[in-house]
Amino acid sequence: MSTDIGVWIAAFLTLCIFSFLYKDNPFYKFAEHLFVGVSVGYGIVLTIHQGIIPFAWQPLKNSITGEAPLWRFFVTLIPVGVGFLFFSRLMPRYSWLIRYPIAILIGMGAGFAIPRAMETSIFEQMNGTLRPFGVINSLSAGEIIGAVLMLIGVVCTLTYFFFSVEHKGIVGGISKLGIIFLMIGFGSAFGNTVMGRVSLLIQRVDFLLGDWLGIVG
Amino acid sequence: MRRQVPLVLCFLFGITMTIQYYVPSRFSEDLKSEVLNWGLIIGPFALVLAIATLVRLHYTRIQRRSENWPYSIVVFVGLIVMAVVGTVQGFTSQGISGGPFEWIFNNIQVPMDATMFALLAFFIASAAYRAFRARTLEATLLLVAALLVMFGNAPIGDLIWQKISPVRPNLPSEVRQWILDNPNLSSRRAIIMGISLGAISQSLRIILGIERSYLGGGE
Repeated sequence: MSTDIGVWIAAFLTLCIFSFLYKDNPFYKFAEHLFVGVSVGYGIVLTIHQGIIPFAWQPLKNSITGEAPLWRFFVTLIPVGVGFLFFSRLMPRYSWLIRYPIAILIGMGAGFAIPRAMETSIFEQMNGTLRPFGVINSLSAGEIIGAVLMLIGVVCTLTYFFFSVEHKGIVGGISKLGIIFLMIGFGSAFGNTVMGRVSLLIQRVDFLLGDWLGIVG
Repeated sequence: MRRQVPLVLCFLFGITMTIQYYVPSRFSEDLKSEVLNWGLIIGPFALVLAIATLVRLHYTRIQRRSENWPYSIVVFVGLIVMAVVGTVQGFTSQGISGGPFEWIFNNIQVPMDATMFALLAFFIASAAYRAFRARTLEATLLLVAALLVMFGNAPIGDLIWQKISPVRPNLPSEVRQWILDNPNLSSRRAIIMGISLGAISQSLRIILGIERSYLGGGE
């Protein structure tokens, strides 16, 4: 059995959370609330040390000490000022000012997403689907079947999501085939998720029986 | 001032970030990194606001002695201890810098995080038991694909198969890999393309000011 106080605390909290399998109880509630508090605290630390300090505090400090040009001070001050507008939410009279930082962040995100989604999610995926047909002579029979199946799967699944045409006749048949591919995809995603969760469960049981009680390992 | 200026700001930042990608130059790269830095500075303030809301919620619960209010004290204790210890101690380039912060992270946060997700194994199994009924062709395919992937994922799958047929000892993991690389990937590719087309059209609507729900209601 472990003599490390940290292992005992971790084991206690693990058992507190597993106690939910019986029913909701004070031990689970304690662990749940502690988890929320600790996670938010970790988020604060992460934000301060990997966001505010390197991107806001350090440039401001450097421009004051002369390590960076003075214009950097003002350029950094603008987003800091815009960021402070988030707190207008706490004053009902000026709460509309929160739209400024939100609009900037949303505009930035939307503008950033368009070319990247086009590049990585559409062109790259199309490229991956069609590329094997460019080198079809060098592929084995199995690889050719795989490439054809891939193309059929992509076209049929896309047809299933194409609602501008009524799903009747040929389109209906193709979209039905798309459902089959989708079901296999969802099934394998489910299988992978289950296995991921089971791996975590095994790891926790291994921790309790090995690191804490010393029965195994 | 209240609605037009945010729309103009959204348009300017959105169009700048879009055009920047297609104009490969030093200026364009500098502009991108500057704008991204602005985002990294503005973003954390939203988190501060979220934390202020959480604190206000739990403070009100304690003040009014609402149901389960003592647990709100636990939230505060966890939050304050972690935030103070972490802020004072900080990060190094390698990540968490040892000491009490690492101790709290390894012995409190990580075990609870892992156990919360491990707990889902039970619920996912119970949901599967109730939902997986091979009533139609589609449901059967879902069930069979999930079972084959699980069987191929677990080492015991290959071990059992080796006892049945020694000819292709790794057949379960080969079948799993084939499912993942072919029918699964094709549906996933189509879904990714569909999501991206949706994201692009939604982004365009936002930039052009057609979609304004982020501005909220009122004047």
